[in-house]
This record gives sequence, structure tokens and C-alpha cells, in this order.
Amino acid sequence: MSTSMLPSRSKTSVLVFLIPPLLLYGVAVLLPILQSLFLSFFDWDGITSLRFVGFDNYARMFVGDDVFWTAFSNSLGYLAICLILQLGGALVVASLLISLRRGREVVKTLYLLPAVISTVAIAFLFQRIYSLEPVGLLNQLLAWVGLEGLQQAWLSDVDTVLAAVSIPEGWRFTGLYMLIIYAALLAVPQELEEAARLDGANWWQVFTKIRFPYIRPVWITTTIMASTYALRGFDIPYLLTNGGPGQASELLTTYMYKTAFTHTDYGYASTISVFIVVECLIAVGLIILLLRRKADA
Amino acid sequence: MTATVLSPASGPSTTPESSRPASPRRRQRLNVHRTLASVVIWLIVVVQVYPLAWLFITSIRTEQDFASGNPFALPTEITFDNYVRAFETGNLGLNILNSLIVTLGSNLLIVLLGMMAAYALQVLGFRLSRFVRALFLIGIIVPVQIALVPLFIDYSSVDLLDTYQSMIIPLAAFSLPMSIYLFSSFYEYIPRETYEAASIDGAGPYRIFGQITFPLSVNTIVTVVLVNSIFIWNDFIFANTFVLSDGLKTIPLGLQNYIGAMGNVDWTATFAAVCVTITPLLLVFLVLNKAMIYGLESGATKG
Amino acid sequence: MTHIRIRAAAVAAAASVALVLSGCSGGAPAATGEIDPEGEIQPREISWLLSRPADGGVITAMQQIADEYAEEHPGFSLNLITTPDRPSYIQKYETLAAANKLPELFDTDATPFAKKLADQGRMIDAEALLKDLDLYDDYRPAALNYQRFDDGSLYMIPFEFQLEFFWYNTALFEEAGVEVPESLDDFPAMCEALRASGVTPIALDGQDQWPLERYMAYHPFRTAGPEYVQELKRGDAAFADPDGEAAVEWLHSLGEAGCFAEGFSSTGYADAQALFTSGKAAVYNIGTWELANLATENLDAGVRDDIDYFTLPMTPDAVTAENEYVTPSGIGMAVSAKTFDPLVRDFLAFALERYPEVYATTGALSPTSNVETTIPDNATPLYQRAVEQADGVGEKIAMPWDTQLDPASNTRLQQELTLLVQGEITPDEFIETMDATIARNGPAAFE
Repeated sequence: MSTSMLPSRSKTSVLVFLIPPLLLYGVAVLLPILQSLFLSFFDWDGITSLRFVGFDNYARMFVGDDVFWTAFSNSLGYLAICLILQLGGALVVASLLISLRRGREVVKTLYLLPAVISTVAIAFLFQRIYSLEPVGLLNQLLAWVGLEGLQQAWLSDVDTVLAAVSIPEGWRFTGLYMLIIYAALLAVPQELEEAARLDGANWWQVFTKIRFPYIRPVWITTTIMASTYALRGFDIPYLLTNGGPGQASELLTTYMYKTAFTHTDYGYASTISVFIVVECLIAVGLIILLLRRKADA
Repeated sequence: MTATVLSPASGPSTTPESSRPASPRRRQRLNVHRTLASVVIWLIVVVQVYPLAWLFITSIRTEQDFASGNPFALPTEITFDNYVRAFETGNLGLNILNSLIVTLGSNLLIVLLGMMAAYALQVLGFRLSRFVRALFLIGIIVPVQIALVPLFIDYSSVDLLDTYQSMIIPLAAFSLPMSIYLFSSFYEYIPRETYEAASIDGAGPYRIFGQITFPLSVNTIVTVVLVNSIFIWNDFIFANTFVLSDGLKTIPLGLQNYIGAMGNVDWTATFAAVCVTITPLLLVFLVLNKAMIYGLESGATKG
Repeated sequence: MTHIRIRAAAVAAAASVALVLSGCSGGAPAATGEIDPEGEIQPREISWLLSRPADGGVITAMQQIADEYAEEHPGFSLNLITTPDRPSYIQKYETLAAANKLPELFDTDATPFAKKLADQGRMIDAEALLKDLDLYDDYRPAALNYQRFDDGSLYMIPFEFQLEFFWYNTALFEEAGVEVPESLDDFPAMCEALRASGVTPIALDGQDQWPLERYMAYHPFRTAGPEYVQELKRGDAAFADPDGEAAVEWLHSLGEAGCFAEGFSSTGYADAQALFTSGKAAVYNIGTWELANLATENLDAGVRDDIDYFTLPMTPDAVTAENEYVTPSGIGMAVSAKTFDPLVRDFLAFALERYPEVYATTGALSPTSNVETTIPDNATPLYQRAVEQADGVGEKIAMPWDTQLDPASNTRLQQELTLLVQGEITPDEFIETMDATIARNGPAAFE
């Protein structure tokens, strides 16, 4: 990959194209990460002077903070639900869409609609959907199909709230990922598929042997995108439940944000940030490893 | 389009007494499959579209109807008072303008710098490109929240707080990696021969970028702009942290004007405002969407 | 190549250190805190960073007053920067303070964070200023006391005065055969009776956290007085103490008696109020800022005439008086010492003198006792009664705990309270968690 696609190019030309993006990126992304790493070794409330505490913040995070671990496992649950909805949903819908004869453009446009609505509005919408008093949409639907017994305040129950806050986030961007995957599926040569079908391959075989390998590069990118967006998920849990009831829907990001901006504990918040960065790096590493290995197999 | 591509396969089935008995059955199964797919697809469409319809319907409800009635039923009476209140309380025009400036500014940076970096990484290539790629990957991965405190401190020391740049810089920077990856994966598909041919004609890396890579990128640009606009248009966190004056407030901040004492919210007015504020994005989206579909289809047939 | 990379990283790290350090060293106050600075009044634009409703009474009144002042002082203008959403506001104000960029005027409660700012000399002594302007005695003592830090010092100026009542529906009470509770301990029985008659006993906005936290404050305020929370937040008192334990048990019993609607923790402000104003809930605990929505002809006739209120009930052996309950004067306005100059002083002298009169015409209670509140035309008689109640308020205030505890303990308390009332945790678990949390965060925050 490090070899040039051009027969000739100068070192200067590489720098001309590379320096401006790196500069912007370095200032706004890399530098703050370094600053966070630096701050994670300090105790700082923003107004009094920094106090060096060594690894105290890390010790506190791993040993002395039950909320941190709750938030961590919630984040993983949130990730799982978002991935199932966004990637699973997107792939299914994109595949179905390929076989649709008419109205594809309309469908694509309509699927993307939730993504343009601001999270504030989405949060309130889902508050209404989940609500018990006044009876929300979900509980109304349950009543219509005769399942009154299942009616409950979905956002107040510690057992259901995590799923309840994950679903809007998953739902919101399904259309986006669907579009990306759909574009990749379109590029799959029809002749190959047709040939396979004529050879007697069923739908599933066509999918796994031809379509999926063809879209694998896009699939990896999409998986990384969806995972990292889910791991940095914030708005909807924050607006919908603010992590509650208790810490049942607290994510690492909302916990970090609260620690920084509500508790003004910037040092400890930076420590959580560093953890999130490491966690995300590991997650992406795993994704690449797993998907690449499958490709080799 | 699909129909024409598929026509050779379905051709023999026009004669019912075909010599290949498998064909009608397959066609039937295909039709059942298609119908089922359509049903599922349109069902999901309802799920996807309903919220927007609900938003709009709520925005023309009376406050009393919303508070005491069933918020999912049809409104008992229609009112446009909410829109009047939305415009009186807020500063919607200005908010939209600010969001527009921030979205356009960020997109300009994202597209231009994203193409440049992808060109350097994918087309030009260099020894440390793997390292630079990894560096950019970090940006996809880290949550934007970690930049808030450091950036705030940095901005205040160079006097950038409360400016359009203070929002545009991090929004563009955090979207840059994804845009680089989208451009890179597209550039991967541009055949090496195209470049070789241009090089033989004497074109250097700058001319090739301007005359070949850039024009070919239009569809990807549309995708990148579309995806990022959605995120940037609704960005709350950077605007809330870096913007102080009313004159620079973007839409998500403007929507906060409808919050009253102790957390009380004028929801119907807020939804009216939401309807007004998503309209520009929606229009742009609809226009770009057509361009994108056209681009994708022509790209697919050529590729 | 590698060594260049390392050097670049080192430079970047060093730069980040320098930036972080420059950010926090900005804490040194530039001004002396002099309340009557010498010099000419030079009109310019001054800013007020505030957290109040965009079209609310305070902003409308201050805008009008600023316009009047600008007429006599060309070049002056007051830039009102409001962030009504309180959590967002606190974030903005605290980051501004960290960057040493606080504007001339800014809103804050008497929080530990604000105390640190005051201790660093970054805020003007409001008591000295008000006395120097000869306005101090106009203020209701309760309104000023609400703004004071625990040591009695005053750095924030109040712009409102509110009384928090238990609004209740007389018809629903009659139907259920319950009386207005004499004691807080009567609440569980009251709730059970109301539940039995098929209504939600108490409407509660659980989403915003502070309304439930008020219930935490009530019981100890009666049994131990306002000092309890002041000691608790420092770790000098504990929930395991008899007063604390009684309060926790009381809250637990409210949950068991089904006082709040199922799913209260995801019920928002407007929904909770709608429950009460539509006659579905019997009790609603809210302040006089909602007078215009509760004591108004606009309400549904079936509910309007049944609405009445009672103040915080007593407990047996209560140490605070019946006329002492939650009487907040809203978020206060602090004056930044760094930018305080003759102009800011002169404007404040003009504005604070003029404010009560302008503000009272909006139908709200002034933080001063020298003006009469204008009763709106469509008000029910309840409005007048509530306004008059303000003059009979006692000295001690049941402080909202969210302004008292350090933020980390406060967040945890709000979370655990919901779990306690929902029956997810036992009173003992609650006490153990909260005492440990406060022991970790409290003493450090108030050292």
C-alpha cells in the first residue's frame, strides 16, 4: 500500500498534500489527546492549581469506583445493541432493497430521515414512545395485541432502560449505514451473481460467496464506523435518562462528561477519557483482526 | 435498472412450456421473495418516517391537546400558534444561518483536506503512510468529548473562543479521518492504468489530482458531505462549549431557548422550531440524494 | 525518520503542558475587590452570563432597565447571554471560570465551586456592595440568606423570591377521605388512601432530579434543622445518624406507599404538571414560579377551583417553625472582581434600585420587600394568597440539597434516591453507599 500508484512523484508533492490535513488534525485531535493524557495524572478542578497525583486516578478508576465498571459494562451492552440494529439491519435492508423493483430512491431517502432529526427531538419522541403515563406508543401497541401485562415505564425500569436508550441510537443511523452498504452492493457485478444462480446457488450462497466478499472492505469500514460511534454514544442516553435510574443507563462517555463538567473533576475525567481511547483502540483492533482473518480463511 | 440487468435470466420464462421446468418455479419463488421484501421494506419505511410525521403533527397541535390528549392521536384542532411562538421566542433565522456557515465551512475543510490526505496516502504513497493511516484511525476512534477541556484552554489562550472557527476546527478535524477513509477506499478502485496513461501524457501529481482524481471523486464528495452535514448540522456539544454570544448560536443551541424555568419546556413550540430548522437540511439532502443516486448508478454500471 | 517522530511528539507534549498550565495559572485575580473603584464612568458593553428563561421576567426587566441606562450613557449596552438549561449552563460557567474568562456578571448558586471563586477574590463582596449602595435593607432577609455561603458571607445578589408549596386537589382529597397532612409522617397513609381511590397521589418530575431531591431535604430540615445538610456534606454528619436514617426510611416508605406515579423517574416537568392540572394527580410540589399556571382562570374549570396549597408539614418535635420551608431566591448574580469598574458599579446601582418595581409588575415576587406584586387579571384568588404568604416567611430556609452537596456526591445522591424510592435498593444499602460517597468527596470539596 505504501507504493505509489503514480509512476513518478516528488517528496514535496507528498508533503504538500499531507501537511494541511495533518496540521488541522494534529491541533484539534492529537494535541487534546496528549493534553488529556497529561491531565490524567493530576487532580484539577479547573480553578485551583494542578496537583500531581501519579497513578492515583487510575487506581481509583480500576479499584475504587463501582460506577465506572457499571458504566463500562453498560457501554458494551449499548455497543452490542447498536451494532445489531445498525449493521444487521443495514445489511438486511440493503440486500432487500437490491431486489426491489420500484421506489428504491424514495425508500433510501425515507430511510435516512431519522438521521437528519436532532437528538433533542429524537429523545423526546422516544420518551413519548416509552412512556407509561400518559400511555406511550409502545404500551399502546402492547395493549392492542393483548399484552397489557407487559406494559411498563420502559425508561424507569433498571432492567429495560439500557435497551431502551440503545434502540433510538441504533435506529437513527441504520439508514446511513444501509446506504453505504447498498452502494457497495450495487457495485457487485450482476453477471457473477447471475452465473452463480444459474449454477444453482441459493440466495444465502450468493450472499456469502459473492456479495459479502465483494463488499468486505466497505463492511470493515462500516463496522469500525458503527462501533466507534456507538462507543462514543452520548446524546440520547444523556438527554433521555441522564444515565438513570441509578446508573442503569450510564455510559462511559456520559460518566466522563459528568465527571468533567458537573463534578469539575477534570483530572479524573481525563483518566476516563484515556480509558475510552484505549478501549476504542482495542475494539477496532479486534474488528480488523476478526474480519481480516475471515477474509484469509 | 435491475429489471433490465435481470432480463436475460427471466427471458426463457416467457414461454410457459419451457424446456427448462425449473424456471417457472424459480420465478415464482423469486416473486414471493420480492413481494415479501417489499412488504418488509415498506414496513421499515413506516418506522423510519413516522417520527418526522409525528414531529410535524405535534407542531400543529395546541398546547392543551399535547399535554392532556393522546400525543399519538390526530390533533383535535390545528393551530399555527406554535410557529408564531417559535419565531417570537427564538432567533431561528440567525440560528439557521450560523448552522449553515458552520456546516459549509466544516464540509469545505473535510472534503478538501480529506481528498488531499487520501491522495497522498493512497495514490502518491510514501514510506510512513501506514503510520499516518494509524494516526488518522485514532481520530475515528476517540470520542469527541475528550477534546472539550483541552480545546477550551487552547482556544482561550489564542483568543479563538466564541468564533465560527472554534466550532469548525474540531468538527472538521474529527470528521476528517472518516472522510479520508471514504476517499481512500474509493481511490483504491481507480485503476492504476488511468494514472499511468496521464503520466505518459506528462501530467505531474498536482495536475493528476486536479484533472483526474478530483473530477472522479464527485460522487464520494456528495456522500462525504451528506454524511458529515447530518452530524455537523445537529452538533450540540462543541457549539455549547465554545459559543457564548447569541449572534453565533447554532440550531441546537437555539432550540434551548424554549426551555423555561426549572426545566419546563414549551414542547409544541420547540417542535415547530425543529420543523423549521430541519427544513434546510432536508431540502439539501433531497437534492444531493438525487445526485448521489445518479452518481452511484452510473458508477456501478461503469465499474 | 524515527527520531524526528519522537522529537515531534515531545514538542507536542511540551506544548500541551504549557497550554494546560497557562490555563490554570489564570486563576490569579487582577483586581483588588474594591467595591467603590476610583475613576471615570466609561460606557461600554458589559455582559451577563445567566441561566434564566429567555423571555422570562428577570431578563425582560433587566433588558428594559439596561435600555433606560443606555439612554443616559450612550455607548453602554448589556449583553444578556442566557443558557436556560441548567446543566449546560454550569458546564459553560465552570469552563469559563477555568479559562479565567468570566464576564462582568454571571449567575451561580452558593455551590462549593462558587465558594472557591470567592475565596480566590474573583467575586465582589455582595453584602458590602449592597450596603454601600444603600440597598441592603430593602432585601428580604430570607432572599439574601438563600444566597449566602455557610460562613454567612454573601457574594450573590438575588433577583427573585419563591415559595415552594404542596399544591393539592381538594376534590380528590375529599373523595379519598384524606386531610391535609399535619406531619410528614402522615404522607404514606395519605398516599395509600389516594392510591385506593384511583388517582396518582403525587405528581413528580423525576427526570430533572431536583424535585425528588427536595423530598430528601424535608425530613431532616424538620427534625434537625438546616444545619444537618451543612454537616452532612462535610462528612461531619452521616445518613447513618438517627436524623438521616429517619429521612431515608421516610423516603423508602413514600416509595412503598406508591406516592409517585409508576415510571416517575422518566416523567418530565411538563408531564408532571399536566398530571396535576388535569386532575389525575392529587398533590404537586412546586414553587411560586408556576403561580401563573396554577392560579389562573385558564385552567380547566373542573380542576381550577379545587386547587389549594399547604406548606411543608411538620414532624413531631420539629426544630424548625411552620413558616420555615423551601423559600429560594433563585440562582444568584455574582459580580466578577476582575472587570469591576466605576461603570459596572454605577450600572448596578441604577439597575438594582429600579429592578424591584419593574419586576413586580410582571406578577412575580421581588427579592425585596419594598414593592407590591401586580396580580395578573386572569388570576384566581389563590394568587393573592400565595403572594401574601411571602411576607410571613421565617428566617431559616430548607436549602435545596443540589446546591449544597459537592457535585459528585450530589449526582450519586440523585441516582440512589431514585433507586431507593423505586424499591431497587434497601434503606441500609442507600445509607452505606451515600455515606461512603460523601466521605470520599465531601471533606475534600469543603476543605
